[in-house]
Amino acid sequence: MHRLKVPRRTLLGGAALLAAPSIIRPARAAERCVVGTWGGDYARLLRENIDDPILKPQGVEVVQDIGDEAPRFAKLVAQKMLPRGSMDIACFGAPNGFRAGQAGLLEKLDRAKAPNLKNISDFLWNDYFVPHIYSTQVIAFNPQTVSDPPKNFGDLLDPKWKGKVGVVTTAGFWLMMAAALYASGNPDDFDKAKPLILKLNDNGLHLYPETDNLAPAFKSGEIEVGMIWFARTVMWQNAGFPVQGRYPSEGSILYVSGMAVPKNAPDKDTTWKYVDAMLEPSAQQGFAAHMGYLPTVTDAKLTGKIAEQLAFPNPKPKLVQPDYAYTTKVQAEMQDWWDKNVQHG
Amino acid sequence: MADPARTGSRAALPLLAPATLLVVIMLLGPLALAARFSLNRFDPTQIMVAALTPANYARFFTDPFYRDVLVTTLRVSAVVTVACLLFGLPMAWRLARSSSRFKSVWLMLIILPLFIGAVTRTSGWMILFARGGMLDIVLTRLFHTRPIDLMFTEDAVIAGIVSINLPFTVLALQSVFEGIDPRLEEAAASMGAAPARAFRRVVLPLALPGVLIAALLCFILCMNAFATPVLLGGPRFHMMAPLIYWEFTNNNNWPFAAALAFILMATTLTLSGVANLLIPRRYRMGRGR
Repeated sequence: MHRLKVPRRTLLGGAALLAAPSIIRPARAAERCVVGTWGGDYARLLRENIDDPILKPQGVEVVQDIGDEAPRFAKLVAQKMLPRGSMDIACFGAPNGFRAGQAGLLEKLDRAKAPNLKNISDFLWNDYFVPHIYSTQVIAFNPQTVSDPPKNFGDLLDPKWKGKVGVVTTAGFWLMMAAALYASGNPDDFDKAKPLILKLNDNGLHLYPETDNLAPAFKSGEIEVGMIWFARTVMWQNAGFPVQGRYPSEGSILYVSGMAVPKNAPDKDTTWKYVDAMLEPSAQQGFAAHMGYLPTVTDAKLTGKIAEQLAFPNPKPKLVQPDYAYTTKVQAEMQDWWDKNVQHG
Repeated sequence: MADPARTGSRAALPLLAPATLLVVIMLLGPLALAARFSLNRFDPTQIMVAALTPANYARFFTDPFYRDVLVTTLRVSAVVTVACLLFGLPMAWRLARSSSRFKSVWLMLIILPLFIGAVTRTSGWMILFARGGMLDIVLTRLFHTRPIDLMFTEDAVIAGIVSINLPFTVLALQSVFEGIDPRLEEAAASMGAAPARAFRRVVLPLALPGVLIAALLCFILCMNAFATPVLLGGPRFHMMAPLIYWEFTNNNNWPFAAALAFILMATTLTLSGVANLLIPRRYRMGRGR
């Protein structure tokens, strides 16, 4: 039998050659920051406004860990006992950010470590959660077909809108807050909200699985009015969809999206650099221009068309933040109520 | 002298061990973990608190909402299975008895949809069913009907799942019919049985165990359907698999999601066992050969 003979030195040399790429790595950034974030436009804008223009020149390599918010929260809980978690930054909406802070999963914010923290608007400050962008809940309508849009949540119940109101089912909890605000002036008074929500549902409410389903529904004429974040109406207008936003007379609930630093973030120094970078005025202005969200810092002034589009009407509407301590307690119960009575109703 | 049967089974052990080990680790391990989770208690901030409570199972059985979801899942699965058998039996029969040189082409046409993922195919149905979609345009422009809402209906979900499960059913049935000797039908014909009677009295009883397997395959696939109910059913339509996903990811309620998963698995296994019992004893699998 013929045996293939390979000299030992050749064999060792070949093995070394094969292993070379792992030994001689291309020059990589000295610091690495893993950001747990949503995908899509948000992830792209993080790259375009924070990662590439601000952190890359500082030698920080940003890796995005893309996924939904609830699994991200679960990941933080599951990794609680580990000395080093998998994320340096975790993106959350304010309710989950507050919940994670309450669960003892997050590092307390320190203005000394990220100087831009001092520029956060006072009404958005939270000890554990960095507000990144925010928007307001408004009544959306099709300006081509609706000349007299609803002025408040109560107007949506008018039979003239039967079968013409659409909302996103994942925002059901927020819609309940809007109903509560209209009914009692308090966004957390869910008992007052429930009858109004049931009435709205009985009026032929259209439910859509995702936020992006609303714009085509307005365009096709399936719906004419709804409730959504003001930022979305701006995005859709800029994309050519017939959607306009109107602030409800009873006030507008705030949606704050932000980031948090897990207690077991692998590289804390880099993490604070990221926190500082996302609050830079240029990054904040970039998100406003492309996503229609308002800056959370006082030094990011908006100019031009976007300033006009995002300007509050005069007189400025009442802006209402939910009591996150309370929403944390009742969210699961309210979500359950929504699933059974509205989705299944 | 060594017993050859015992030697054979001993020799089979090293061959069976890797696969068995893999199944134990990859399937039974997570199942055991999920079983433990299902007895825990949900907590909004901690997600799960260790406990030994049947509350998650009790919540399912005492709440009509969740029972309704299971009933919907069973109803859709039954309708889809019947539809797949009705469409699949003639196709599979014709294919099995075909001696055309195009037989492999027909077979390929049935297999071809399996090359495309379920989500992609469902997206096609969405374009067809949407307001302003193809079907809507055809009906409103040609027949001047009012705009129709096919999206987010149970009918849309059934149509979507049938399209996904049909190739599986046809392929399973075709192999069953291929295994039945055509001379049996010839013998029946020679004794005066018309083709339909020969099929009903001779072929179908012989094919029944295989038909059951095809039906079970279709039923189980439907019981666990996820993408089609989510995309075509919309937010108001609920089936078990999307509900499990929703509880697990959106509500972070791992204990209840685990309990739902076990209830779905137990229901499917029980019904599969019962289905086998419904077939007359003499036609059951492993008998009558």
